[in-house]
Amino acid sequence: MLRYYLRLALKSFARDPGATALMLFAIALGIGVCVMTLTVYHAMSSNPIWWKNDRLYAITLDSWPAERPANIDLPHLPPTQLTYTDANYFFNSGIPERKVLMYQATGVVLSGRASKPLKINTRITTADFFPMFDVPFQYGNGWSARADTGPEALIVLSHDLNERLFGGLNSVGRTIRWSNHDFRIVGVLEPWMPQPKFYDLTVGSFNEPEAAYLPWGWSKALQLLSSGSIHCWKVEPANTVDELMSSECAWIQMWVELPDADARTRMQALMDTYWNEQRKRGRFQRPRNNRLSNVNEWLEDHQVVQNDNRLLVGLAFAFLSVCLLNTIGLLLAKFLNGAPVAGVRRALGASRLHIFLQHLIQAGVLALAGALLGLGLSAVFLWGVRILYGSDPQTGRGGYQALAHFDSIGIAWAIALAVVAVIITGLYPAWRIGRVSPARHLKSQ
Amino acid sequence: MRLHVRPILSAMLRNWTGPVLVAAQISITLAVLINAVYIVKQRVDRIGRPTGIDVENIFVIRSVGVNDKYAHEAAMRADLAYLRGVTGVVAAAPISSPPLTGRGDRIGVMLKFDDHAHGIVTHYYEVDDQALAALGVRLAAGRFFQANEVLPPRRTSGDVIGAPVAVITQALANDLYPDGHALGKPIYDSFGFLTAPATIVGIIEHMHGSRVSWDKFDRILMAPRLPFPDEPAVNYLVRTRPGQRDVVLRAVDEHMQNSNPDRMIEWTRTLEYLKNLSYVADRNMAIFLVAITLMLIAITCIGIYGLATFNVSRRARQIGTRRALGAQREDIVRYFLVENWLITTVGVIIGCALALVSGYWLSTHYGLPRLDLYYLVGGIPMLWIVGQLAAWLPARRAAAVSPAVATRSV
Repeated sequence: MLRYYLRLALKSFARDPGATALMLFAIALGIGVCVMTLTVYHAMSSNPIWWKNDRLYAITLDSWPAERPANIDLPHLPPTQLTYTDANYFFNSGIPERKVLMYQATGVVLSGRASKPLKINTRITTADFFPMFDVPFQYGNGWSARADTGPEALIVLSHDLNERLFGGLNSVGRTIRWSNHDFRIVGVLEPWMPQPKFYDLTVGSFNEPEAAYLPWGWSKALQLLSSGSIHCWKVEPANTVDELMSSECAWIQMWVELPDADARTRMQALMDTYWNEQRKRGRFQRPRNNRLSNVNEWLEDHQVVQNDNRLLVGLAFAFLSVCLLNTIGLLLAKFLNGAPVAGVRRALGASRLHIFLQHLIQAGVLALAGALLGLGLSAVFLWGVRILYGSDPQTGRGGYQALAHFDSIGIAWAIALAVVAVIITGLYPAWRIGRVSPARHLKSQ
Repeated sequence: MRLHVRPILSAMLRNWTGPVLVAAQISITLAVLINAVYIVKQRVDRIGRPTGIDVENIFVIRSVGVNDKYAHEAAMRADLAYLRGVTGVVAAAPISSPPLTGRGDRIGVMLKFDDHAHGIVTHYYEVDDQALAALGVRLAAGRFFQANEVLPPRRTSGDVIGAPVAVITQALANDLYPDGHALGKPIYDSFGFLTAPATIVGIIEHMHGSRVSWDKFDRILMAPRLPFPDEPAVNYLVRTRPGQRDVVLRAVDEHMQNSNPDRMIEWTRTLEYLKNLSYVADRNMAIFLVAITLMLIAITCIGIYGLATFNVSRRARQIGTRRALGAQREDIVRYFLVENWLITTVGVIIGCALALVSGYWLSTHYGLPRLDLYYLVGGIPMLWIVGQLAAWLPARRAAAVSPAVATRSV
C-alpha cells in the first residue's frame, strides 16, 4: 500500500512540476535558513566543556571602588578578571583540586623552518591548565607545578604552530626561541578549538586558543605584560608586571576545579572570609559579590550569545512559518484540483482514511525532499556566513576566528523541522481532500 | 466603474482557507519587512557615522621588536624620519592605538584632583606633533602639539613624567565644561599620565575613537608623548595624497620589512579595511536582514500567485459564463485584482498590528529604539503593489478564458 501511495505521489508531482518545484523551493528555503541560524546560535551558546560543568568554576569578586561598577553595561557583575593579590591568595588556598592563574601575552618566535620571525599569542598559565580543561596532547605533555615556580624554560605548542614550525613532526625536546629566550618544547597539542573560548572571554569569545603556553613564573621573570585586557581604576603605577602585581588592576583569569558540593561550599566560605578581612583593611568598598561561576553561568553572564543572533533565530522561524503557510496553500490547491480523481477512488471503495493517508504521504515526500534540499542550502549559507564573518588573523580583528562548523546538531534540526513541516503542511490539506464527497465529482463526469 | 466588492467577498467567504493563508503570509511579511528595514537603517547609520578622519587616504603599519637589541625610541624616530620623506605621504605619526579598530586604552578625566567619582571615561591616545595632519582631523579651537612638547615614551619603571598639555575632542569638552569654555582650562586624569593639572590647549572638532561599539566613541584625549612600547610594538598612521594610498602602502611596506632587522612589520593595512572589520557584525546583520526579507517577499509573491492561479483554473467555467453574458476582459482582470487587493488589505491590517507588537517587544527585550510609525506608512503601499503584481499574470490568464468554455462541459 505504502509503495503504491509513494508511486501515486511521484506521479502527481510529475503532473505539475512547476507547482511542485515552488513548494519544494519554499520548504527548502525555510528549513535552510532555520538550520543556518540555529547552527550559528548553537555554536555560540554551547558549552564546550559540558562534561565538567559541575566541576569548573571561574572566581570573580568585586574589587572596584564604591562609585562605579567595573562594567557599565553589566553593573551586577564583578570585574571579569582578578587582581594579582586576590588571585594569588586563592591560588594558595589548598581547597581546589586543580587551579589555574593565567592571561594572554604575545611573543615573537624564531625557530625551525620559519624563516621570518612569527608573532604569536601565548598563554602564560599554571601547570593545571592542561588536565583541568582536558586539553589533548599529540606529543609529550604539560609541565609540573615546580616548573611554574622555577620557572623552568619549558613551552607547549599548539598543533597549528608545531605544523608551521616543524611540519607536524614530534618536536618534543627541541628548543625554540620565544621573545629572545630559549624554551624547550615539552608538549604539542592535538587540534583543540573550544568554542566559545570560555576560559578567557577578554580577547574575543570566538578567537582561536593561543599558539603556545608558558609556565606562570615567566610572567614575573620576563615582565610579560598582558596583551589582553588590563582593567584599572586607581591612580598608581601599572607599567610593569611588578607594578601590576601590587596594583588594584584586574588582569588575571582564575579558574578552579572543585570536585564536589562540599569543596564548593568551602571555597565560597574562604572567599567570603577573605572579603570580610580585606574590607576591614579598607579594600572592597562595593557590596559583596563573590562569585563561583560554572561554565554555563559564566557564558550566560558575559552574554556570549549576541542579541543579534537571537533576533536572527526568531526571524528565521518567522520566515519558515511563511514558507510553510505558502506550502499549505499550494498543496491545498493542488489536492483540490485533483478532487475529481479522489472522488472516483472513493466511489470505487477507498475509505476516507485511505484518501487521507495517500495525500499525507504525498505531503511527506515533499517535506522530506525539501528538508534534504534545505540541509544542502544551509551548508551553502553557512559557508557564506564563514566568509562574511571571516576575521583577519594578523591584526586579530574582525569577526570570528573560528565558528563551529556544520555539525550533527544541524542535521538533527533539519530532520526535526522536516517532521514539523509534514505535520503542519500535510495534515490540513490531506484532511480536506479526505472529506470530499464522491457524488459531487462523479456527477460532473 | 464599479468594483463589485460584495460578490467577491461572498465568494471568498465560501472558500476562506486559501485567502486566510495568503493574508497570514502577507501579515508576517509586513511585520518582518518593517522591523527589518528599521533595524537595517540603524546599522547603516552606525556604519556611516562621520569619523572626522580622512579614512580613505590613511594606512596603518604595526611594527614589533623581535630581539633584545631593539631600541624602541630610536627605531620609532628612524621609521618616522623615513615615512615623512616618502613622496606621496602627507603626514605620518605614531599612535598608541589606531582609531576605528575596536580596541584602545581608556582613562578617566576629572575636573578636580583624585575626584574619581566624577571621572569621565574617555579614549586616551599618545601621539606626536604630526598626529593632527596624519589623521586629517580639524581643530575647532586652540592649537595642536608642538614638536618640542613631545615627551619620550612612558618608562617601564613607573615614574611617569606627566604631560602638561592635552588636546581633546569637542564631545569631551562638552561633557567636561557644558558652558562651552574648555580651552585653556585645567584637567586631571586617573592614571597620572598628565601633570596635575594639565591644560587643554586645543579642541578637535570631531573624531571617532577606537571603540566602535561604545556610545561615547567621540570622547578623546590626546597627550604629546611617543607611544608606550607594549609588546614592544608601535602603530604608525600614514596619510597619503588622495589616490596614492595603495601605491605608497606597497612601497613603504616593502622598505620597512627589511629596514631594521631588530623588528618585524606585523601588518600593514588600510584604515578603511580596519574600519570595515570593526563594523563586520553590523554589516552582516544588515545583509542577513535584507536577504531574509527579500526571500520572504519572494515567497509571499509565490503564495499570492499560486492562490490566484488556483482560483482562475477552478473558476474557468464561471469566468466563461460571465464573458458569455457580456463581461469585458477588463472586468475579469478587475475582479481578480480587487479580490487580491481585499486579501492583501486584510493581511496588511493584521501585519501592522503584528509589526507594532513585535517592534515594541524588540525595544523592550533587545534595547532597540521604538519603531518609527512612518515605516508602517512606507511598508503598506509596498505590499499592496507587490500583491497586485503577483496577481497580475493569473488575472490576465483569466481574462483570456474564452466564453465558449461556458458552453462546454469539463
